[in-house]
Amino acid sequence: MPLKILVTAKRVEDSESKIKVNPAGTGIVLEGLKFKINPFDEIAIEEALRLTAKHGGEVVVVSIGGKEVVEQLRSPALAMGANRAIWVNHVGPMDQLGIAACLQKICEKEKPDLCILGKQAIDDDQGQVGSYLAEALGWSQATFASKEESLESEAEKSKAPAIKLSADGKSVTVVREVDGGLQTIEATLPAVATTELRLNQPRYASLPGIMKAKTKPLEEVTPASLGVDMTPHITVVKMTHPPARKAGIKVADVPALMDKLKNEARAI
Amino acid sequence: MNPLVSDAFVDFLVTDVLELDALLALPAFEGHSRAETIAPWLAACRRVAREVLFPDYRTMDAEPPRFENGRVSVHPRMKHAWKELCELGVIAAGRPVEVGGQQLPLTVATVSHAYLMAGNLAAYAFAGLTTGAAHLIEAFGTDALKARFLAKLYSGEWTGTMALTEPQAGSSLADVTSRAKPTKDGHYLISGAKIFISGGDQDLTDNIVHLVLARIDGAPPGTKGISLFAVPKKREQGSTLVPNDVHVSGVIHKIGWKGLPSLALSFGDEGDCHGWLVGPEHQGLKCMFQMMNEARIMVGVNATATASVAFHESLAYARERKQGRAHGASPASAPVPLVAHADVRRMLVRQKAIVEGSLALLGVTARFADLSEHATGDDERARARLLLDLLTPIAKTFPAEKGFEANALALQLHGGYGYSSEYLPEAWLRDQKLNTIHEGTTTIQGLDLLGRKVVAGAGAALQALGEEIEQDCARATFDVSALRAVLPSVSELVATLGMRGASGDVEGMLVHSADFMDLMSTTVVAWVWVKVTAALGARTDDFAKGLHATREYWFATELPRVPELVRRCQSGERSFRDFQDGWF
Repeated sequence: MPLKILVTAKRVEDSESKIKVNPAGTGIVLEGLKFKINPFDEIAIEEALRLTAKHGGEVVVVSIGGKEVVEQLRSPALAMGANRAIWVNHVGPMDQLGIAACLQKICEKEKPDLCILGKQAIDDDQGQVGSYLAEALGWSQATFASKEESLESEAEKSKAPAIKLSADGKSVTVVREVDGGLQTIEATLPAVATTELRLNQPRYASLPGIMKAKTKPLEEVTPASLGVDMTPHITVVKMTHPPARKAGIKVADVPALMDKLKNEARAI
Repeated sequence: MNPLVSDAFVDFLVTDVLELDALLALPAFEGHSRAETIAPWLAACRRVAREVLFPDYRTMDAEPPRFENGRVSVHPRMKHAWKELCELGVIAAGRPVEVGGQQLPLTVATVSHAYLMAGNLAAYAFAGLTTGAAHLIEAFGTDALKARFLAKLYSGEWTGTMALTEPQAGSSLADVTSRAKPTKDGHYLISGAKIFISGGDQDLTDNIVHLVLARIDGAPPGTKGISLFAVPKKREQGSTLVPNDVHVSGVIHKIGWKGLPSLALSFGDEGDCHGWLVGPEHQGLKCMFQMMNEARIMVGVNATATASVAFHESLAYARERKQGRAHGASPASAPVPLVAHADVRRMLVRQKAIVEGSLALLGVTARFADLSEHATGDDERARARLLLDLLTPIAKTFPAEKGFEANALALQLHGGYGYSSEYLPEAWLRDQKLNTIHEGTTTIQGLDLLGRKVVAGAGAALQALGEEIEQDCARATFDVSALRAVLPSVSELVATLGMRGASGDVEGMLVHSADFMDLMSTTVVAWVWVKVTAALGARTDDFAKGLHATREYWFATELPRVPELVRRCQSGERSFRDFQDGWF
């Protein structure tokens, strides 16, 4: 049974960039930063491509933001092999509720069998959109999708999808990463899944893929056209760097060390 | 993490110095745009270089390919690297769409491939060699030959090699003795021995296509009797591949590029080695030479990449490693990072000048290569061709010779650790040495530059270069008088040496070809630094300050050597020319 899968591609700061908090403490300095696709989303796209390679179907990738997010939609998302893209053109603040609402409206129109999202974005680490989206749609959710095999395994090398479609095409089996182990669940379709780092090793965009991506359909919509109010419900009050590590000291002898461990660090 | 090559410099070089948008406006590159294809392509190369190739560099250097039972096995990790390189589309990137390529400008390939080479030179080399072999078949092969080999090579299903050198001939291709005997069936029977064949055998792919230079029976002696053949390791018989009487006769134990097997091969030991003629009979060298500029530019990039990765390694080390204090500082004060010492900064600035100067020189040269093929006006193509031919030996030699010096500085900067194989700079130093040797040694390049290129077309190339230099000097907002000052003496020197050669004293003309290469390289790189920094415009950020200061370094420390080198060439200084063999 062919699958229609909706995936996300959030534009985030490149983790190689040096992140600085702005002087007002309201956000980070964007000048001079490099951007890339959220790595968790890249894993979501890879999983979707593996599923459609096996079962047939279509992968639609969505991003929300100003015109710069088209970069990530074209490459790597479409260049990796996604079939088409939807760009929600929105400049200005947004929070997880607004994002989930946009995705909900798109899902209601596109009617995918499965949404695969990164479990979180590496910029603000909220990790909420997947669950909000499933709730808003009333769909089953399978968060933290992972797999039993390692990233060095033959299953991974063969690019087999880790999310398994049932024989009747009505549900998927997902191995979830939970504290201390793995949990296998079956989720009725349509469903929302979110990806862990150990789900797969995403492919790289290739030059032929990049060339093909240029002519793949990219539809522009706006929150207004979707009927979504993006006014955030959450305000960032303050942003700070983690406290700098203080220099160590030398202690005179073992009793002094023991004393500090016991009374200052309270480690023993 | 080592960036391998500076992203900021590459982005600036491509966009502002090499004016990519103007190049992409040519009809040949209509499929490309900076935002939609070039930027994502650079991003893809950077990732594959950093995430796939570089992590396996050390293990591939430590464990070279094995030769057992007549077969060569490459490092197991090479299979992973090969798969990623093929999927990336690097082999056919620069070739036209009709043959499965993407018509990427050489200007872009030059900088994008630098990342892959810097990540793992030997791994990239399998792809580079395959492109080279396939390109020869594409340019000169019959349709039948193309149908047989091209798609398999450009997709990476098979690999390719260049089998030119023979044990007794070395650089002297006129002495090639491999033979080709015509048969009624259209193919030739090849026999002979070749040496230093990189990638000559491997267990990555089912087949390998060797591009072999050999003499057809009855061919004239010397370079005019050499033909080019495609000789697969296995040939098709029906739907299967059968051995084609190509054998590995030995492996070369070498000091660098250890991931890439370099072999002695023998063809036709059993009289059953089939080869197919590529291009016209006796025109093999001519065919090879048409690919030479591109191949030599790529060796220049090999060298630049190898110096670049070591530069960035030593820069990170100098910033992190704390040693010593400022003059007069209290011994009780905390030690400072190495980079706080002036002489350490000298070693870093020198590396920066060589690495980024080389990359810019290669970018400029590659741009002339693109224009020589794809510019719309005949005159523009012809002028670009002149400049390409003139700059190519410099763009090959300067990065290789000065890159070795840069690699030595990177090692030096690591102190005793640099001399240990626990650290990577010694490996890159070993890799770098090959670049002054293969694809025409520095001696060959010097002779090519002085004996052919600068005197060709009655000095038209040199004149075009002068115009290019003046154009960039004219838009510079800084002092370029030191560069302008050396130019007339270089022109005079070329005239003097040209006349010396024309009068019959060819040895007198060429005896200082190495010095001539040195002075031309130094001058051309000074021009390249003018070109780079002129493109900064009014920028005054740290990036711009660093480039201006590097240009000033080159002007202050390197350009002053040029007049002395000019004097030496002009006078025909005789110390080593007259030195007798018995005196050693």
